Amino acid sequence: MRSLSRFLLQGRFLSRSSGHYDVIVVGGGHAGTEASAAAARMGCNTLLLTHKIETLGEMSCNPSFGGIGKGHLMKEVDALDGICGRICDISGIHYKVLNKRKGPAVWGYRAQIDRKLYKKHLQEELINKTKNLDILPASVEDLIVSGQGEDRSCEGVVLANGDIIRSKCVVITTGTFLNGKINIGLETRPAGRFGDEPAIALATTLDRIGFKLGRLKTGTPPRIDGSTVDFSVCETHFPDNPSLPFSFMSNDVWIESGKQVPCFLIRTNPNVDAIIKESLHLNRHVKEEITGPRYCPSIESKVLRFGGRDHQVWLEPEGLDTNVIYPNGLSCTMPEEIQLNMLRQIRGLERCDMVRPGYGVEYDYIDPREVKPTLETKRVANLYFAGQINGTTGYEEAAAQGIIAGINAGGKVKGRDEFTVSRAEGYIGVLIDDLTTLGTNEPYRMFTSRAEFRLSLRPDNADLRLTAKGFQYGCVSSERYQRLLEDEKKLNEGIELMESVILPKSIWSKLPHAADARTHVNRSAFHLLRCRFQKEAELISVKDLLSICPNTFDSVAEDTRLATRIQIEAMYREFALAEMAEIQEVMKYEQLRLPEDINYSSNRLNLSNEEKERLASSKPQTIAAASRIPGVTASAILQLLRYVKRRDITLI
Amino acid sequence: MSISRGAGTIFGLSTGRGRSAVAVVRISGYNAQTALQKMTNRDDFPPRQMAFVNILHPLKKTLIDKGMIVYFPGPKSFTGEDCCEFHIHGGKAVISSVLESLATIPDFRPAEAGEFTRRAFLNNKLDLTKVEGLADLLNAETESQRKQALRQVGGDLELLYKNWRRQILKSIANVEAFIDFAEDENISSTAIQEVEEIVKKLIYEIKNHLSDNRRGERLRDGVHVAIVGEPNVGKSSLMNILCQRQAAIVSPVAGTTRDVLETTIDIGGYPMILCDTAGIRRTTDDVEQEGVNRAKKRAENADLVILVKDASKVDAPESSNIDHFLKGWDEDVLTVWNKIDLVKEKTYDGVSLSCTTKAGLTGFLSELTKKIANLCADPESESPVLTKARHRIELTRCVENLLEYLNFSKNDSDLVISAHKLRTAVKHMGSITGEIYADGILDVIFSDFCIGK
Repeated sequence: MRSLSRFLLQGRFLSRSSGHYDVIVVGGGHAGTEASAAAARMGCNTLLLTHKIETLGEMSCNPSFGGIGKGHLMKEVDALDGICGRICDISGIHYKVLNKRKGPAVWGYRAQIDRKLYKKHLQEELINKTKNLDILPASVEDLIVSGQGEDRSCEGVVLANGDIIRSKCVVITTGTFLNGKINIGLETRPAGRFGDEPAIALATTLDRIGFKLGRLKTGTPPRIDGSTVDFSVCETHFPDNPSLPFSFMSNDVWIESGKQVPCFLIRTNPNVDAIIKESLHLNRHVKEEITGPRYCPSIESKVLRFGGRDHQVWLEPEGLDTNVIYPNGLSCTMPEEIQLNMLRQIRGLERCDMVRPGYGVEYDYIDPREVKPTLETKRVANLYFAGQINGTTGYEEAAAQGIIAGINAGGKVKGRDEFTVSRAEGYIGVLIDDLTTLGTNEPYRMFTSRAEFRLSLRPDNADLRLTAKGFQYGCVSSERYQRLLEDEKKLNEGIELMESVILPKSIWSKLPHAADARTHVNRSAFHLLRCRFQKEAELISVKDLLSICPNTFDSVAEDTRLATRIQIEAMYREFALAEMAEIQEVMKYEQLRLPEDINYSSNRLNLSNEEKERLASSKPQTIAAASRIPGVTASAILQLLRYVKRRDITLI
Repeated sequence: MSISRGAGTIFGLSTGRGRSAVAVVRISGYNAQTALQKMTNRDDFPPRQMAFVNILHPLKKTLIDKGMIVYFPGPKSFTGEDCCEFHIHGGKAVISSVLESLATIPDFRPAEAGEFTRRAFLNNKLDLTKVEGLADLLNAETESQRKQALRQVGGDLELLYKNWRRQILKSIANVEAFIDFAEDENISSTAIQEVEEIVKKLIYEIKNHLSDNRRGERLRDGVHVAIVGEPNVGKSSLMNILCQRQAAIVSPVAGTTRDVLETTIDIGGYPMILCDTAGIRRTTDDVEQEGVNRAKKRAENADLVILVKDASKVDAPESSNIDHFLKGWDEDVLTVWNKIDLVKEKTYDGVSLSCTTKAGLTGFLSELTKKIANLCADPESESPVLTKARHRIELTRCVENLLEYLNFSKNDSDLVISAHKLRTAVKHMGSITGEIYADGILDVIFSDFCIGK
């Protein structure tokens, strides 16, 4: 198969009739790469179609991966044996865990990534290291859909050159390319990304099939020549030392902290406000009445909504061997010369050169209520959508959907049941459940506040939550599964050891800590790990305990990663146990499937008009999902339960 | 509607409103037996056998009542889970203290609307072939219960609770913004200080509210009945006849009654809270319009509406205002034609009487008694005693969580855990106001903070 990949890559010849695959993935961004790799891992004969091989794994916007909530998604993608976490561990140039002071449940693993390295390593992974995967540079003109009405099914794609490639499943991950348009100043032109053609034919196809389309917008900032920036007046921020890797398979990141590059913080000023306000009439993108992301707003909308303040701008390096700087926070769409003028108002950028202007993107997205939690569409069987096409934003959100779509397409080919992640099992579940149940009218981004079981769904335990499940389904390698078993064993043994050492208060109080002032009960070492020192309010660590029990915990203390995991378990144990009962309850309701042919207008269900409408437009797949739709009452849920139960009985 | 609170052991009063000698409190959940252990002086409970016991407070061990208990180990029980029942005396004080006692047991909480039935369903305990009529039961259990509970506490309290909930939501938004955005974006730590102030104030207010037993808890047991109709059809006359005293001013001038008059009476042994309302018609008089609004609100909240119509004007083209208003209420409306003494030939259907001659009064009373008896017999409608106990329990737990929030944040410990305390607090407040799902946090965040790099 490897030789075939090369063969295809050289773009020589593909027979018009011979192409036949298990899974075809359209799009080579972060959703497409995860989807194709996942389907290939499932043992399916997979083809990845992308406009250009060079842009495979392109980071179209910011030169970074991860963040708060997004880091959680990456850990989970990694736990399912996805690729982005591992690639980031060998391509990063500034690793930093955000939220370090706010508790490990919300630590945000994040890194500045060298764009070129990322693409290089990712392409190497897909082209040379992934079995069962072919890659072909081509654009897709149409889908082959057979059947009528409710029984439609996707059987392959038609390429722009007329070639037909058949497959059992098709995953579409075209990001912002569907009817994409970019805006700078008053100029507008069709494009999916700077310098790339949009996917217009495909948008027409999807529209024709009847998918509900909407339109969203987003933007990207201008790029600056770093050699023209006066960094001496900027606030310098250094990476973590030691730097923590994303992947459960990586012991370390590839580059030591001292060799990584810093980021810089600068701020806007009233001059910037003035320029933005004066140039509004030249700014087409801002005037469009299309929804953009509220949490990643353009500098224009920040100034318009929250005027009279200064706004933070982070200067982020785009790579080790380039001077290009990404000014995070300055996404804008005014004419090029005004952008430069605006940049030069900012302290540190007075003499800067602009490498490329910022621009806005408008694109079609599909109402994600058109897809099931497996990301297969409700209208056409064997057709899957993943990534920004479903109304999300961000590489990590895309990767998370990509892997689920890829796994399910693979599972479908193999005749397996569905593979879904519940919102009680992971952020991936929260993301997909929110999208498929509630839809979205702005680009959807992950936040930890969206997860109701935040104390249990932590970055440190994503492997415990998902790897075994993935292995059983067939999307996780045995190497990773072995690693999980080892890590889990060490963790359990470590906790057992810490719990077995129980000492009276008089001894523990040699470590002056604040907790338990009133009780005189003997405490275990494990319990001590969630107490804090009186003075600095730092947690008592396994290392600190060594002063009281020398030698006992050496094996744990030596393994920093293990010691941290045990400590985090100790901090959250009590709360995670309390959440457990709720989690089980939610999962029980998630197993109660609502049949797809349910008629919400039926008098038997006795629903209010509002409920009928909302349920019919969202078509929830389970009772749990239905209960999260606003306006659906307790009484309606009971009616649905009754319906489901009765149906189960008749089916038996 | 949330099902994520579904875990735990639930309890509720399963006998109806109105006076009764015996009340039954039902408990269902994995540790239902704990209630028996903690609230009786016994330790063995043979399945499905009644036992006469002293019922004690689980912590103080003081005597609450003498009564019967029975234990149904799952799956042979109503819900399929472990269940038990306390059969106690029917007085308000006893019922309240049993309910509040149960709430002190860890992992016990008052059942939400429809929750017993939902659990029974999930465990395949309801015979589905026999439950065609269940829809009505379900509705009674849920929507009307919520409506009822809020009416019982009165409009002012509803506003108060909603306002408290909003303030907790605002606090959550601040903390969540700080968690999801602060570090490299523009959220200052004053957001967290602001939360501390709000939470302290809330604790003070809720505690005060809990210790003030008189205010806002004018709970009266009974079926709420509203007399409505167009102006001058004889609503106040009917009220006076039913009260057998001049509770309302009666005059031939249309629009005499402008506010809502309320009185408690006994009909066939059932308690009834009867109110007379302003005639409903289009008006330009502000005072009268307010009366009309109140009348409509009252009708919406009532268990039963007596619609009075003028028999002498049966042919007159009704201004459809009121019929339109009551459209679809069928079951909840008793229509009565008044002034039959002015009519020579009967041209109307249904119950009729004359408030002047008292003709037809007996027939009307028996019809009314039937309706009220039905309402009182409905075991799923919630008694105000339970409402009051339930609200107290939720408020108490809300305050506990707010206090824990302060504790955790004071110790500079994990912000995620303190945020969890606020999330739990808002759930408790929301289960009173019926807004259990805490959505909209992100909306608050985006409207208050300039977020985004």
